[in-house]
Amino acid sequence: MANARRTSLGNSLRYRGREGMWTWILHRLTGLGILLFLLIHVVETATVIYFPDVYDKFLVGYKTGLFRFAELVIFFSVLYHAVNGTRIIVQDFRPLVMQRQRQLVWASAVVVVLAMLPVTWMMMAPMFGLAQEPGVERHRQRCAEFPDAPACVEDGHSAGTSIAAGEVSL
Amino acid sequence: MSAPAQVAERGAARPGGGYRRPGATRGNFELLSWFFMRMSGLVLIFLSLYHLVWWNLVIGVEHLDSQVVIERWNNPFWRLFNVALVLFAMLHGLNGARYSIEDYVRRPGLQLAVKSVVYTLVLGAMIVAVFALLTFDPATLINR
Repeated sequence: MANARRTSLGNSLRYRGREGMWTWILHRLTGLGILLFLLIHVVETATVIYFPDVYDKFLVGYKTGLFRFAELVIFFSVLYHAVNGTRIIVQDFRPLVMQRQRQLVWASAVVVVLAMLPVTWMMMAPMFGLAQEPGVERHRQRCAEFPDAPACVEDGHSAGTSIAAGEVSL
Repeated sequence: MSAPAQVAERGAARPGGGYRRPGATRGNFELLSWFFMRMSGLVLIFLSLYHLVWWNLVIGVEHLDSQVVIERWNNPFWRLFNVALVLFAMLHGLNGARYSIEDYVRRPGLQLAVKSVVYTLVLGAMIVAVFALLTFDPATLINR
């Protein structure tokens, strides 16, 4: 095809389109990343309904530092995709704002960074013992009501009664 | 070379209005696709951010197990919430993947092959998830 457009990721990166180019590339990468994660996440969560025990075994593997970091990356990806997508929608339906498009990009970046600050702290600080896990109070209340819930047995929040965490074989 | 048409002020409305490309031959599919991405995107901002905040920051991944999820889905509202989230996210993501495939995989045969694989995976996962949510019977699972 003589008139086929030739596009490659390398060419895209060499094209120096400043803010517009980088937000576009990041929008694609976060979008494809989220889709890949969704494929796994959706099928794995469907096992709750048919094989709840399998789901609980999956989860044990997810409760590690590496996965916590991956979850933070996903949180960032969705947030960035949402804020940048909002900017695209505004630009599409109110094209006059394109006269201020660079300022819009930087405003979006500020929104993403400001939102990520508390999220990063809440998700990462517990990994280093700097804060409690998010939702720990709610979890304690649930474990008082249902001491046999898998997550309660696993982390010893039901151990106060009779079952010691170490005695339970999964 | 004929004289260029008078250049409209940037951002001004098109004469005749609307977004349809003059002389478009492939029907309205790409226009509908563009519109769907904006509308599903707006819906997804609320659905996906609520979902992320709820499970990561309110419940906490550390406290997750099958029982928490089943309790949540015991309420039909949250099952429908998840059906909407899966449908919008997967269709929005699939159309986005189509944009990338059409940009970067340009050999027609290869493009068809890549599309077939991606469409099958995404639509397959979407059907499994929606089927699971709609056939979920909480009575058989709760407090097992």
